[in-house]
Amino acid sequence: MSAQLAPRPSAQLALSYSRRGERGLPIAVPLGSVQRIEFPDAESKSAFVTAVLKARCEPDEELELFGQPVRGLSGKARQKLRARVGALSPIIGLISNLNAWENISLPAAYHGKPPLDVVATITGEVLDAFGIEPRSFLVRVPDELGKLERKIAAFARLLVAGPELAIIESLNDGLSRAECARVAGFEREYRRRHPAGTLVFVDLREE
Amino acid sequence: MLRAVREIEGGIRLSLNAAGRLPVLRKPPVLESFLRQVYFTGVTASTGVVLRASLLGVLIIAITMDVLDADVDLAVKILLLVVFREVGPLAAAVVVILRSGTAMSAEMAMMRISGQTRALRYLNINLYDYLVVPRIAGVMVATTALTFYIQFLAVAGGLLLSPFIIEASFMELASRLFDLFTPVDFYYSTIKALLFGFAIAACCCYHGLNPPDLTQNAVPKVVTRAVTQCAMLVLTINAVFAYIVFGILFFGLVKATV
Repeated sequence: MSAQLAPRPSAQLALSYSRRGERGLPIAVPLGSVQRIEFPDAESKSAFVTAVLKARCEPDEELELFGQPVRGLSGKARQKLRARVGALSPIIGLISNLNAWENISLPAAYHGKPPLDVVATITGEVLDAFGIEPRSFLVRVPDELGKLERKIAAFARLLVAGPELAIIESLNDGLSRAECARVAGFEREYRRRHPAGTLVFVDLREE
Repeated sequence: MLRAVREIEGGIRLSLNAAGRLPVLRKPPVLESFLRQVYFTGVTASTGVVLRASLLGVLIIAITMDVLDADVDLAVKILLLVVFREVGPLAAAVVVILRSGTAMSAEMAMMRISGQTRALRYLNINLYDYLVVPRIAGVMVATTALTFYIQFLAVAGGLLLSPFIIEASFMELASRLFDLFTPVDFYYSTIKALLFGFAIAACCCYHGLNPPDLTQNAVPKVVTRAVTQCAMLVLTINAVFAYIVFGILFFGLVKATV
């Protein structure tokens, strides 16, 4: 576990998570930081990401988001917390019958914020930063996109939502070395748009 | 038995939930999904398949008139009572079940199995809002439009064909048809078509979102179950509706005693 930090007052933490048992995983992520967390197995990684995204924990887990314990939260309070968290994860894949633009703009169009012109601007800038030609990229459905392109579309969707806490799971999975070098730019892009945001990279520990 | 009860309960819950959420159609992506559904269910079906379904209506008229040795009055009654009231909405429902019901249930089952419904939930997008409501509303509108289209083609076809089978002119038949036609016929088929559309879409959405398991093998099971139950639902609604409105069942073979 690379992100085991000294205990801090929970109000300064964006996220604090622990799990009882053999795989006890005390994780503490300070607000505004960039952390890389490596899990020993896929099950514990998945449990962590699911708990954070749902703002809900199992009986053997403890989770606090932005200093607030999620156990016993009301539905509305949980919804509010969830709105502050976003992820680029295989769990939140792209919708297969929508093209890239529709995928990126769907949450914004559904929730009514941010406006679609802002979404278009952010998307244009992200694609530009990764050297992708928008016109042909945005009209393609996920099956017509490569792995890297799918990750970039999902990343643009994440940036549009602008979460205070962003979880990026298994970023390099399935990518070539050259592509890994390109996605390394996600951190810079996120930081540029959300200087006070917290970014957590989640991966499996390499044996 | 328990599964059937659970399915009925789930279907009713889904229907009530969707009916209460209709205002969500104002949201742009939901509206877009609704229009897409109307296009795929209504517009794309209105070419080949519907023309063939309409020809079936014309064929029914031709055979019935020939067998019954019909005169003008009977010919027009067959057109109105059988083709307009019954065959039109039923033919539209069959087209919708075969074309859109199968596609809709398979698509939703695939979304559920591949985790896309979970992704929508994580994006704080309500599944009823984004998947169920636009499909139900879209299929209702499209089924009604298809019904009118089939009714028009079948009745017009019947009017044009009848003079070749019985001794009556087109004008004679048409004027008798307008004499017998009442607004009840129009309301009857409209409400029935809306109910058919609702039942088909709700049934397909329910089965699509509740596959028996989360493997690829579940998709054909979902489609088979959805189509079978849609057909049963449509036939039941047709029979009950005819009994409630006209006090008759099975084209008048069974009459209400109340």
